[in-house]
Amino acid sequence: MKPLPKFQYHAPRTLAEAVQLIDTLDNAKPVIGGTDLVPLLREAACSPSHIVDLNNVAELNYVREEDGFICIGATATHSQVAASELMRKAPAVVDAVSRIGSVQIRNRGSITGNLCNASPAADSAPPLLVYDAEVEIVSSGDTAILPLPELFAGPKINSLEPNELVTGIRFPVPPESSSSSFKRIARRKAFTLSVVSAAAYVEMDGGVCTEARVAFGSVAETPIRAPRVEELLTGEEMDGQTISEAAEAANQSVAPVTDMRGTAEYRRDMCGVLLKRALYTAVGRLS
Amino acid sequence: MEYDKILSDILGREDFLVVGKNVVRTDALDKALGKAMYTADYVPRGTTLLKVYRSTVPHARIKSVDTAEALELPGVEAIYTGADVTGNNQIGYALPDQPFLNDEKVHYIGDPVALVCARDEYALEKAFQKISVEYEELPAMLDIDVSLSEDAVDIHEGGNIALTTRIRKGDAEKGFSEADVEVEETYWSPYQDHMYIETEAAYAVPEHGKVTVICNGQSPFLVREKVAHVLGWSLNQVRIIQALAGGAFGGKDDQGPLVSAYAAFAATKLGKPVALVWDRPESVSYSNKRFPARIKYRSGATEEGKVTAVEVDITLECGAYANRSPFWLWRQTAHAAGPYEVDNCSVDGRAVYTNKVYGGSFRGFGDLALHFAAETQMERLAYELSMDPIEFRLRNVLKVGSRTTCDQVLDHSVGLEQCLKAVRDASDWSSHREPVWEGSKVRGYGVGLAYHGISTSRSTPDWSAASILLNQDGSLTYRTGIVEIGQGSPFGHIKIVSEIIGVPPENIRIELPDTDSTLNAKPTHGSRGLMLGGTAAAKAALTLRENMVACASELFEVPYERIALVEGRAYDKEDPETSVSVRELAEEMYNRGYDPGAYGYFKAPKRFFDPETGLGVNYSVYTFAATVGEVEVDTETGETSVIRVWPAMDCGKAIDPLMIEGQIEGSISQGMGFALMENMELKDGLVINPGFKDYIVPSSMDTPQIEPCIIVEEPYRHGAFGAKGVGEPAIISVVPTITSAIHHATGLWFNTIPVRPWTMHKALKEAEP
Amino acid sequence: MEISFELNGEPVTVTVEPYMSLVDMLRAEMDVKSVKKGCEQGECGACTLLIDGAPVTSCLVLAPQVEGRHVTTIEGLEKNSLMIDLREAFIENGAVQCGFCTPGMLLSAYALLRDNPHPSMEEVKMGIEGNICRCTGFTKIIEAILDAVERIAPE
Repeated sequence: MKPLPKFQYHAPRTLAEAVQLIDTLDNAKPVIGGTDLVPLLREAACSPSHIVDLNNVAELNYVREEDGFICIGATATHSQVAASELMRKAPAVVDAVSRIGSVQIRNRGSITGNLCNASPAADSAPPLLVYDAEVEIVSSGDTAILPLPELFAGPKINSLEPNELVTGIRFPVPPESSSSSFKRIARRKAFTLSVVSAAAYVEMDGGVCTEARVAFGSVAETPIRAPRVEELLTGEEMDGQTISEAAEAANQSVAPVTDMRGTAEYRRDMCGVLLKRALYTAVGRLS
Repeated sequence: MEYDKILSDILGREDFLVVGKNVVRTDALDKALGKAMYTADYVPRGTTLLKVYRSTVPHARIKSVDTAEALELPGVEAIYTGADVTGNNQIGYALPDQPFLNDEKVHYIGDPVALVCARDEYALEKAFQKISVEYEELPAMLDIDVSLSEDAVDIHEGGNIALTTRIRKGDAEKGFSEADVEVEETYWSPYQDHMYIETEAAYAVPEHGKVTVICNGQSPFLVREKVAHVLGWSLNQVRIIQALAGGAFGGKDDQGPLVSAYAAFAATKLGKPVALVWDRPESVSYSNKRFPARIKYRSGATEEGKVTAVEVDITLECGAYANRSPFWLWRQTAHAAGPYEVDNCSVDGRAVYTNKVYGGSFRGFGDLALHFAAETQMERLAYELSMDPIEFRLRNVLKVGSRTTCDQVLDHSVGLEQCLKAVRDASDWSSHREPVWEGSKVRGYGVGLAYHGISTSRSTPDWSAASILLNQDGSLTYRTGIVEIGQGSPFGHIKIVSEIIGVPPENIRIELPDTDSTLNAKPTHGSRGLMLGGTAAAKAALTLRENMVACASELFEVPYERIALVEGRAYDKEDPETSVSVRELAEEMYNRGYDPGAYGYFKAPKRFFDPETGLGVNYSVYTFAATVGEVEVDTETGETSVIRVWPAMDCGKAIDPLMIEGQIEGSISQGMGFALMENMELKDGLVINPGFKDYIVPSSMDTPQIEPCIIVEEPYRHGAFGAKGVGEPAIISVVPTITSAIHHATGLWFNTIPVRPWTMHKALKEAEP
Repeated sequence: MEISFELNGEPVTVTVEPYMSLVDMLRAEMDVKSVKKGCEQGECGACTLLIDGAPVTSCLVLAPQVEGRHVTTIEGLEKNSLMIDLREAFIENGAVQCGFCTPGMLLSAYALLRDNPHPSMEEVKMGIEGNICRCTGFTKIIEAILDAVERIAPE
């Protein structure tokens, strides 16, 4: 294990200050919880000259509803999000963030950081993917909205430019007729990376699914949506047969790899199992 | 004398006052306050740091080591290589195959090549980048079969087989000819890392002609021996102070001497204090693991359920060095038939070098792999015979008078049958003979037994010593070389002392082992800490008691026999009003010429063992355990959970039931990890999961419901109050308990552990019609 | 750089390099040795302490990040009644073996009971899921926490 690189530390108080620091400093890296970043620094996976700590930027700490969106500020921790009343409208997100890491990690780590780390195994990603989440980005004098899938450029690689800062995540307020669920398998019951994970989102009209969205973690280079599965579900009666067909299709729609956390075959097969369970839970939550 | 009869024969009492009762450990408060000191806590700010520079290739000749550029760097204080070793550049534990600093060859990724001393981690890091080692790479033997193949390259002089073992008892072929059923399978049991939360560490302070090392080994005297050996010094020039250890499980028995030798060597060369604290990746990647083993096992039994013969072939993977493999392999060989009486046994073993991290001591010491194989064989035989697995075991289980694999007659202290019957009844076994389904999940019950010879195998002399000093104020100072690694043995000792001299445990202070003032108790391993160490404590206490009684007798002017020592007082049994406090008694002893200090030395009775035949008395005594477990398998996801465990143990005499439960519960958790989740991942000889992130150990969430341990007490004649060690049997029995419950639930047999979700899922898929 | 924060209720100011972790600053610069280093990856929980009351792994916190914050280690709760109940329950239930995980474990347990005075067994297990104990197998720790619940005097 390496000692931490000899960086300079900056603790801006305002977003404008933070943006300016990120823009002007050479080889700067923002930090929120540090729960992903600090281990990377110790593995010498990255070696920034400057660390810009966003935790003191008060305007980035929120979970709120605004203009038809649920908005999660960059520094909102998993614990904060999990405890938020508002998030009950997006149960899959709560499923994920209330069990991500450990108590200690949830108290420190943020959803934004988890997403920017761009791990294919990031538990917050599949639920946010099924909510069509977007990433709010600022850079010097500019703001942009990026669909979440476009944030993920590859395993542990995000698509941000060095001067870009994610200020938060947002997704449309889900309709009353919607629900969702997140399921995962890990090598033990607590605090470890997911071997495979699945999130399912449904909008129901009677017994019919009017809108379905499905996402998986740890089965590709990035967390992914599964459009073919979604098509199969949309417009269908949500019965055992539909769900079985969707599960079968889920297995066919991923191409995972074998590593020490699980085999490709296992991950493929589990996409179907987890999807089935997530769908049943999501539909069950509506009744 | 028979030490199990101290209470009746010497103390003249019927009831125990502290032994067998749950008494609060005297060390727990400091630990809970955060005030307990571990090795790294002693290192003052600004101490020179030491880091071991290690090979990056698994097998190579060293052509050159260039440290010149690194030595020029600011903050780098010294770099030592094998050429600097003026004492002995050899630290092999059982065989002389392990250089202290490798100067000719490297044998695994992580082999020590140089010691770098610098003022901080940054200077160390820079120095590491500037050291260059030129290797002539050799083919890496990364698998036992590659090592054993005809075109294998020798890892050490003399070939890739470090040693062989052999037992022939009865006539195996004759035994098989009498059998109605036979099963033959091959089992694989992998590496396991100890994953103690505190990593290996040593802090060495040199002075003229002497060095003091604070460390976290498991035997300060073995540490002293290794340090002195490497330095070429005499034992009295080396002082080892054993700090509390933050978990050890055997690993620190092997690593403690090594980290201490590195720190002491550098400190004496440099002439200033040096600290060596491993980080987690170093600990996982380079320290010894549980030895992997492949066990080919053939067993036969009659229709009546009697095992007639076993033929066992053990290939132990040493890794780069033999380390403790002779002891490990002999233990597996001597226990090969499992805890059963089998008249015809044929056992062969070999320990094979590979270019991987070496194996070594770990709780259960060889008996995990062995029992996983032996017990699964018993399950299979029972299945073939359509016999209840417990009933089948009861027909074969070791009892008083039975002969073990190595033909050792068990003349007393054999409580396995009682253990097995107790867990059978407690778990209501007979009502759970059908798997229970709920949705995709199925639950099953399994059973496992364990027997584990205490302390070292074969004829190795086994002894221990301890001392007690009664101070003028009546307080006591107790010294033992048995170390505190979480298990609490030293506290068990003072309960024994307390029972004998009638002074409450809280009045007895346990000093940290210090080789300058503590007597040699030999190592804290092989479940011997309480049995051997505690008996030495008892002997010291009996001597001190004699002196206390003699003084009280003079003081009260009554005969010896009338003196009782209880609850911090001495009194006349016939006239309890005539009494003095221990404080007053101590003062009188000093003034009247009664020795206030006592020393106890205990040697386990002589044993006979013939290394040629492998037959004889291998261990003084065995401890026994039985566990029944309930597991749940999710047949869709392959996830397996241990739901509930019923343990029973024959511990001779329970000195502290609460601490015994602690050992059993910890064992069950560690065994469950081994059976279901833990795995060392190596790629081309490099450990690629060197930390808690990917080396998965059980968490609080995985904890099964563990029922209160059923304690069976079949006293061991030569142990204080009859006590035997309790730290290991449950980890041995729980692994086959889990796999047998998995079989019960799913019908699947697993010959390889761990059974991880994807392993289970694959097996379930393959078993689908 | 200079860092000012409150350590166990006392204001303190330390001068350290910004690239030091909180656990290193406490152990090396401030002699707070109850905070143990087990992995430096946030995985074992031995370095757990409270920042503004919330348990975190101090190996993942950069020292300057505690500027202006309240840091609590086990020393700071020595006389706290909830911690006394927990501590005694740990000791009497045999939840302390080697003791290396104990300070961090107690702090997680403390935060759990402070926020949820009547947890279920499942909630207890979850409250300490970030603290690895390799000695006890957790059973006695879980029992101790549930026992502490019984000990807490009604307000």
